[in-house]
Amino acid sequence: MSKIGLLLIHPAISTTPEMVVNAKASAEQKGFKFVDQYLINKVNDGSIKLKNDNYDVIRYLTPEKPEDIKFPKKLIELLKNSLKVNGVLYGLSDVYKIDAVINGFEIVNNGKNDNDEYHWIKTQENHVAPQAISLKTKTNFSNESNKKSLPSFKKASLPTFKKATPDVEIVKTAVITDDLDDDLDNENENDIFSNSSKARFLDINDDDDADGESIDEDDLVDGKIGNVSMIICGKTKTKKKKACKDCTCGMKEEEEQEVNRIRSQQEKVIKFTEDELTEIDFTIDGKKVGGCGSCSLGDAFRCSGCPYLGLPAFKPGEVINLNSISDDL
Amino acid sequence: MSPINKIVILYGSETGNSQDFATVLSQKLKRLHFANTLLPFGDFEPNDLLKIKYLFILVSTTGQGALPRNVHENSDGSKRTFWSLLKKRNLPETFLNHINVAFFGLGDSSYPQFNYAVRKLHNRMVNQLGANELFDRLEADEQGMAGSNKNTGSGVEAVYFEYERKILSLLRSKYPKMKDSQGNRVERTEIDPSIYLEPNSYLKLINNNTTTTTIDSVNGKSQSSVIFTGDDSVKYGEVLVNKRLTSKDHFQDVRQFIFTDCDNSGSKPEYYPGDTVVIYPCNSDNDVDAFLQNQDQWLPIADKLLEFTNGVPDSLRCIGGGIVQPLTLRNLLKYHIDIKSIPRTSFFIKIWQFATDVTRMERGEEQLNDQRNKLKEFAYDEDMQELFDYCNRPRRSILEVLEDFLSLRLPWQFCLDYLPLIQPRSYSISSGPCDPNIELTVAIVKYKTILRTIRKGVCTTYMSQLPIGDKTLRYKIRNNSLIKKEKFDDPMILVGPGVGLAPLLSVIKMSNANEQGKISLLYGCRFKDKDYLYEDLLEEWDQKGKIRLYPVFSRDRENSPDTKYVQDMLWKHGPQMTELLVKKNALFFLCGSSGRMPLQVRITIVEMLKKWSGFVDDSSAKQFLKDMEKNGRYIQETW
Repeated sequence: MSKIGLLLIHPAISTTPEMVVNAKASAEQKGFKFVDQYLINKVNDGSIKLKNDNYDVIRYLTPEKPEDIKFPKKLIELLKNSLKVNGVLYGLSDVYKIDAVINGFEIVNNGKNDNDEYHWIKTQENHVAPQAISLKTKTNFSNESNKKSLPSFKKASLPTFKKATPDVEIVKTAVITDDLDDDLDNENENDIFSNSSKARFLDINDDDDADGESIDEDDLVDGKIGNVSMIICGKTKTKKKKACKDCTCGMKEEEEQEVNRIRSQQEKVIKFTEDELTEIDFTIDGKKVGGCGSCSLGDAFRCSGCPYLGLPAFKPGEVINLNSISDDL
Repeated sequence: MSPINKIVILYGSETGNSQDFATVLSQKLKRLHFANTLLPFGDFEPNDLLKIKYLFILVSTTGQGALPRNVHENSDGSKRTFWSLLKKRNLPETFLNHINVAFFGLGDSSYPQFNYAVRKLHNRMVNQLGANELFDRLEADEQGMAGSNKNTGSGVEAVYFEYERKILSLLRSKYPKMKDSQGNRVERTEIDPSIYLEPNSYLKLINNNTTTTTIDSVNGKSQSSVIFTGDDSVKYGEVLVNKRLTSKDHFQDVRQFIFTDCDNSGSKPEYYPGDTVVIYPCNSDNDVDAFLQNQDQWLPIADKLLEFTNGVPDSLRCIGGGIVQPLTLRNLLKYHIDIKSIPRTSFFIKIWQFATDVTRMERGEEQLNDQRNKLKEFAYDEDMQELFDYCNRPRRSILEVLEDFLSLRLPWQFCLDYLPLIQPRSYSISSGPCDPNIELTVAIVKYKTILRTIRKGVCTTYMSQLPIGDKTLRYKIRNNSLIKKEKFDDPMILVGPGVGLAPLLSVIKMSNANEQGKISLLYGCRFKDKDYLYEDLLEEWDQKGKIRLYPVFSRDRENSPDTKYVQDMLWKHGPQMTELLVKKNALFFLCGSSGRMPLQVRITIVEMLKKWSGFVDDSSAKQFLKDMEKNGRYIQETW
């Protein structure tokens, strides 16, 4: 047996040791032997260096589903280098197919018989056969990871301006913050493994909420309040006052009185005759009623004691017809 | 669904306040080129958890200290959510250690469970699961008596703005640079507030060989019938009964509303007492016309077929109920856009710059500027008093704001971004379990403010106007599993003043037993002769011994001389009620309006336990109540 292999292990595999046993058994069937076995994070952080052109086979073991695999892209090149030409890489998926092709791997979906599993083959350097790959991925693949790997996708860009409405500029901002990634990407790649050991907890449908499986929400409020930030500069001086739904302090009655007062004021306005109505036609210059001149502009501009409060703004060229907006409970 | 960002804003909102603050935060971050994802807490996909870096959580607390519905449920009504995941016992204490969080809670210190919702989330996520808290959380108090704004004389908005400031300055100092389109690192700059941010997906005309398709409309009314796609769980009901229950001279119109599923496959709907129906209402054609007349640049394309540039927007999809087809502006205004809602800050932030039309300004340029400035003030003034006085206090609708601000010319393409969407409303079911004739008891919402036109609830107005035989009612049944099946063998005390009676009717119909005194019903209203709902039915049940009825009238001395409220009635029959609770293992089911009523009932029960059942102090009696709650024997459904 001359073929030698490398087994790379995701840290979360410790929860399913049978995967390692199976991998070793299948290696024997395929006629090679794992001579090295490393945790992937050791390779990722550089504490283990892989020799170039060393292995015939590399297998990566992870409990993640193929479409959810998180793998540092920079390692793909490293793995390629440590494989011999025509060496085989098992365990990654189409999530990284772009990187596979970039690094000169050929993707073999399944071989002549169905038992052959998905794998990548290291092709001769500088002799990469042109290969058509579909940029479409299965819909359940994460969009984000695809976007990142496709060079044709726009990076976060400065706004491009256009005018959809006269006088108003419309700007399209980045849908995804890529510029945050700059600072975070490296950090994140190292996080991948500690993160994905959390992945096994993420399935919300895997078990029932049998008692004891979940904590009791009420136990989360134990009377200890902890620290709360206080506001530093309260710019707002006025506290809104509004009666509670079931007010008992009298504020609700006060509010009702205020509403009734204003509405009775409106009644007086409405009681004008047709002739009188023209007197309050704000559209004719010099016939403005109210010294402030703001009565016609709507509640947002009316004075607090304005008799027209609660009525719509008066439209130019229209005699106000208060009957049309009168309404009863 | 859009891909998730590294920055995620989640809100838990009952009345929309937290949602609005969350929307404002999202906008402000985008203006600094921090792309972010904004979602209801319950709609966050747990699988995205490992992709995110910053999590900003804004959550309000409902009356009894519970988390808002959109925290523990997703928009499909499923309870398998991010929160159910976080509650799992077996999570490692490092589970969230890759995430930076900051919390903002919105509460009211007149309720004892002040800001419990944010405290629950905070305790679990930070103390137990290791999330990195960026700064101590903020707790806003509507009363200004507790939390972050305690004794500052400042309102909740001041607390929000402090939260926003902390987040913006923290991110800006950590990420002072951004990339430009060439990938160069440049200084991070803010997009000017007068520039509108294009939403991820918006509307455009469908072009078929350069001609556009128009849907026939007659007199402004869309002729072809509409359908709703994208949500298979929504059902259609046929109205069977829509009858006023209160007397004509009573101020409130309460309806008996019965409908049945239009699907004639014969399968019975599955529901039990305590379950609810959610109803998707729509606007009236009059209001839609008024809107189109106001924004008359929309009229030429109001009935043309539209499509989305980038798929159905998340906000629309999350509401559920399907998307109207044919997709036209008129149909969107009628079925999806809440033009009768009260505008919030985020609305003004998004629309103020569209105040551009000087031709509609009687006083020209000067008035245009006044309107722009006023709208901008509503959008950005941290002292929200002006906005409150203009919109909230008089309950002024968006439609009315547009009538007052004729300079506004809104671009239809982005209407689903800047206009709020119609939310479904939920109602307790009154019919017996799985009865194919689904019955609701609905109070029609109508009230007056200083505004001349009467305020009307969108959904109850819609329902009150549905004629018998109408088949357009869109609804879903929500199974709440409030009452465990085996409890129906035990005695029950049912308490429900007003339309709180609605779910209790279902409970009584479910119990087939005629055991004397097994069900006690405490019902309250104002007057025996005016708003006594189902008087005949209740008294018939009482005579037959199906229930023991204790009616009480709060403004009717003649018929209710010594009691006013349901809690008075509880106290009046204290010894017997206490015995039911303590010795007979009775179920206590309390329904109706939230606020003081449920609190006073609770206080009354504590006193009853002390007086008639030997509980020595408050804490032991309260503990007994808590245990009842834990065992599903004390159930409260208030709204």
